[in-house]
Amino acid sequence: MSQVYGPATSPVMSGGVSTPPPVRLPDPASLFRRRAERLRALSAGHQLEPYLAFLADLAAAQDRVKPVQPAPVLPAADELRRSREFRMPALDRSRLAREPAVSDTVDGIVARLESATMPEAARAALAVVSATGPVERAQMAQAVLDNAVPFEEVAEHVLVAAALQVVAACVAGALPVGALTTLEECLCPVCGSAPVSSSVVGWHGAHGARYCTCSLCSTSWNYVRVRCTACGGTEGIAYQEIEGGPDTIKAESCDTCRSYLKVFHEVKDPALDPVADDVGSLALDLLVAEAGYRRSGVNPLLTGY
Amino acid sequence: MNMELSRRAFLRSAGAGVAGTAIGAFGFGGIEAAHASSIRAFKLTTMVETRNTCPYCSVACGIITYSKGDLRKGEKAELVHIEGDVDHPTNRGTLCPKGAALLDFAKAETRLKYPMIRKPGSDKFERVSWDQALDRIARLMKDDRDQNFVAKNNDGVTVNRWTTTGFLAASATTNETAFVTYKVVRSAGMLVFDNQARV
Repeated sequence: MSQVYGPATSPVMSGGVSTPPPVRLPDPASLFRRRAERLRALSAGHQLEPYLAFLADLAAAQDRVKPVQPAPVLPAADELRRSREFRMPALDRSRLAREPAVSDTVDGIVARLESATMPEAARAALAVVSATGPVERAQMAQAVLDNAVPFEEVAEHVLVAAALQVVAACVAGALPVGALTTLEECLCPVCGSAPVSSSVVGWHGAHGARYCTCSLCSTSWNYVRVRCTACGGTEGIAYQEIEGGPDTIKAESCDTCRSYLKVFHEVKDPALDPVADDVGSLALDLLVAEAGYRRSGVNPLLTGY
Repeated sequence: MNMELSRRAFLRSAGAGVAGTAIGAFGFGGIEAAHASSIRAFKLTTMVETRNTCPYCSVACGIITYSKGDLRKGEKAELVHIEGDVDHPTNRGTLCPKGAALLDFAKAETRLKYPMIRKPGSDKFERVSWDQALDRIARLMKDDRDQNFVAKNNDGVTVNRWTTTGFLAASATTNETAFVTYKVVRSAGMLVFDNQARV
């Protein structure tokens, strides 16, 4: 059958040189379902199989809890215009923590996770979280955003972080992408959070470009390759990988600030997920940490690394 | 340094941040420890990606060269791959067939690494020093210019042309180098000329 092509996918463009889009918003409808599928696929035969399987259930719960209620308030058009003009994030991160939908989403995730297989400690964390009220949850959400999670309540905060991710992704997904632009620093143009990891993508019109993925709202933004995402330096960048492993997952290390961020070569393996494979490649974190680099990627599911 | 990262490092060192891991907190500490001890058998390898400019033509496409091993750490580096730089505004990752074959160019056994001369009547090239080469080129250029320089055309108009010698300059140069190249070559009257300043 004949098919109508939009300008972005016109076959006439196939030989052209196109500029990669600065920002790509998440699609909350498929984001967590795909992440759950990837975690499930990764878990088979993995040394961390039980944890990855548990995270697959958590991502599935994140998927089924949508649409978030009550519907979050989106920034007005003139606020978006002002943020863009001054190259500021479109959303105020701390306002997300106080969003009423976070508390309801926590309840939704806990209810959907209860039937899953998990250790006693995880079940206890679910019980603790479900006993908290909206005020406590807002405080926990704020602690997640501040990266100041108390070490005796890590599991509880990860569950709240999961709810925050759903709310943030739903807000980000509803923004007009044309109103957004990349920031001076390597931070999310929607919520100003640090990236979880970065990917060299194979998208049409952006083949081979590098995109960082937001640790909170899963928005992707274009960022120059061979440049440190933490300090912006271009000297002393190297790519560390595990000898004999697939050459699709590398740690981009910077000798200026001694930090690293993972780079997933989606262009070689389209199945790679910025969050799921970040957990799946924990072995790389352990080896790179031994080499003296600090992890700059933020991932609640790997809190403590 | 990114504010976020330095804050996290500060919180960690101040003891305000996390000590335990999410994996342990959910009750998976056993497999986490097993995973950590099993990876000790593995080693890291380093790949260095370096931005450069394609040396062929005046379009000066951006390229990224990949080498295995890090010279800065005293390792031996081996060039393994060259591809177009997606972030470069001129070529956005694309390369022409010549540029795409750059790896073979860099590693070719017949690659010219120093000046060589094949004297008239000889059947082989001999290595010469840069001084010898430059002196000989300057001598030949001067002789050719003295013989073939056209100061005035048939109508008596001053043209100052030297069309019997051409000059092809590199692409991977700075603005300043391109400017000086242009001035030197054009002021000698040379018309057959290409360098990066053309684009």
